[in-house]
Amino acid sequence: MGVPKDFFYSKSHEWVSLNEGVATVGITDFAQSQLSDLTFVELPSVGATFAAGDEAAVVESVKAAADVYAPVAGEVIEVNEVLEDAPETINSDAFEAGWLFKLRVVDEADVDSLMDADSYEEICPQL
Amino acid sequence: MENLPFFMSDGFSLVFDFPVRYSDGLAFQRRLLAARQAELIPDTVLLMQHTPTVTLGNRGRDNYLLKSEADYAAMGIELFQVERGGDVTFHGPGQWVLYPILHLGGREADAHGYLFNLEEIAIQTLNLFGVEGFRREGKSGAWTELGKLAAIGFRLKRWVSFHGMSFNVSNSLDGFETIVPCGLEGEPVTTLQMLLGDGAPSMAMVGEALLDVFEGVMGRKLEHFRAKDDLPDCLRTLSPPVAQ
Repeated sequence: MGVPKDFFYSKSHEWVSLNEGVATVGITDFAQSQLSDLTFVELPSVGATFAAGDEAAVVESVKAAADVYAPVAGEVIEVNEVLEDAPETINSDAFEAGWLFKLRVVDEADVDSLMDADSYEEICPQL
Repeated sequence: MENLPFFMSDGFSLVFDFPVRYSDGLAFQRRLLAARQAELIPDTVLLMQHTPTVTLGNRGRDNYLLKSEADYAAMGIELFQVERGGDVTFHGPGQWVLYPILHLGGREADAHGYLFNLEEIAIQTLNLFGVEGFRREGKSGAWTELGKLAAIGFRLKRWVSFHGMSFNVSNSLDGFETIVPCGLEGEPVTTLQMLLGDGAPSMAMVGEALLDVFEGVMGRKLEHFRAKDDLPDCLRTLSPPVAQ
């Protein structure tokens, strides 16, 4: 299955969907498959500010824990609280219902340093 | 490697043939992690034994410890809370721990997850010694008819792995008696020695097998080193633990 064409991607397997200055961030389907069944998600606090590349969240499966990085700079305006009770949502729907947090971005041009879907698919194995 | 043209292999293995204190091993892993993230070293796999240690994972719960801190100290067992996934486990001499410091993603050849591949390494290694190893639904690690033989708990930072897998060869199980391993009550832990008795392979044979199987499963050709060898500068400058 492919990755959404209108999203941006980081080398560390986060995705970003940009809409009117708000970046929705999640981890890609590849990332969730490497971790297997997620059991816990540590989300940032609303109001926290991140520079691009800062550690923003932690996702944890039965045996693995992985950091999630803010792909662009911004302030957290919303987190996906559904994940606190149902982290497995990321496994079943990484690109939509499994989003992690939303950032009010500092500079929309930040996404220029990320990859588009085609570039990301090139570095990512087909699942 | 694409960005490391001066290395002739996909990575290094480094074997320690003396028990390493958990804290020394972890500090070395952290130095390797930072060096791997900075692309100063290729993928590197550590194989070592620890002095007796109980470790709790990120979400490890104290109630899986069956002794007091003083009891552990009296038994010569060190206690650590670590940032890996997974629950409480025991390490000690006679058990191999495999710590792959790998950059995952982007060049993985197969469609399986890292967790699956670690399990696969344990299962294929068991098979080499005539033991049937298998996965159990909803429980990670490698299992045998006598119980769990390999335990897994790892962490990814910028998609570089550290921590990893332990594989019981000939270790005493006394240490496991002091915990509820991985939080799984009533699930026995076993060793190759218990499964094979006098026919059990040596630590050295099992270590070699683990690295061979690792290369196949992970699709990486490794250059092999022992801690006492003349190491490549990029590893030597990271100060690997030395025999006490």
